[in-house]
Amino acid sequence: MLVLTRKVGEEIFIGDSICVKVMEISGSKVRLGIDAPAHLRIYREEVLAKVRSENRSAAEWELTDFGRVAGLVPNNYKE
Amino acid sequence: MKVTTSRFGEIEIDSDKIIEMPDGMIGFTEHRFILLLPDNKGCFFWLQSVDNPALAFVVADPTAFVPGYEVTLTPDEYDKLRLAPEAVEVILLAVVNIPNEARNITLNLQGPIVVNPAQMTAKQIVLENGKYPVRHPLFSTAEPEQTERDGVSGSVQKITAICGNL
Repeated sequence: MLVLTRKVGEEIFIGDSICVKVMEISGSKVRLGIDAPAHLRIYREEVLAKVRSENRSAAEWELTDFGRVAGLVPNNYKE
Repeated sequence: MKVTTSRFGEIEIDSDKIIEMPDGMIGFTEHRFILLLPDNKGCFFWLQSVDNPALAFVVADPTAFVPGYEVTLTPDEYDKLRLAPEAVEVILLAVVNIPNEARNITLNLQGPIVVNPAQMTAKQIVLENGKYPVRHPLFSTAEPEQTERDGVSGSVQKITAICGNL
């Protein structure tokens, strides 16, 4: 991993089109400003981890769980 | 073709019902899935891996439960889905989770699966706009009005059109 030291207001370029700027440092928190092309999705690592963890637990469904839930759906959601 | 599953045994499906997910479900490596419509014809579907018998998710159309739910795709995602820029026919699916008891089931609105039914390709995407939670309680929302019900049955039909049979 490349490790760089930056001060508030300083920037890092990743390739030609991504710029990460250190906006503010306050205690243990760092605020970053990111300029990147619109086609790149940028998300916090913990969001990705949450989706992964939801997928893992969702994959545990068994047919009996499905039977319990199917009856709960209001009639007007059904075909 | 025959698909072996741990929950439904061996099932016979048309190969044109296979949905390619080049990036897989987040956290999983499997790339080919089929949507299965359960017997009760409700609004839940199984997204079953073709290559791993034990891997299946329960999914539902989030727009049926959350009026106005929408996802904006990036140009990269259009490419991944082989979706024409002017295409409007995509199917959205949300992974359904059952934390402890059945009434507490949740929809993952932050990590929807986008399906391009014309190419049978799909991708799970992660939204980072703070708008949608990873655990949206299914039964907390008010029941939809009549006008929305019509839209709901329309979206269910779009999904059943690409489902394999159990």
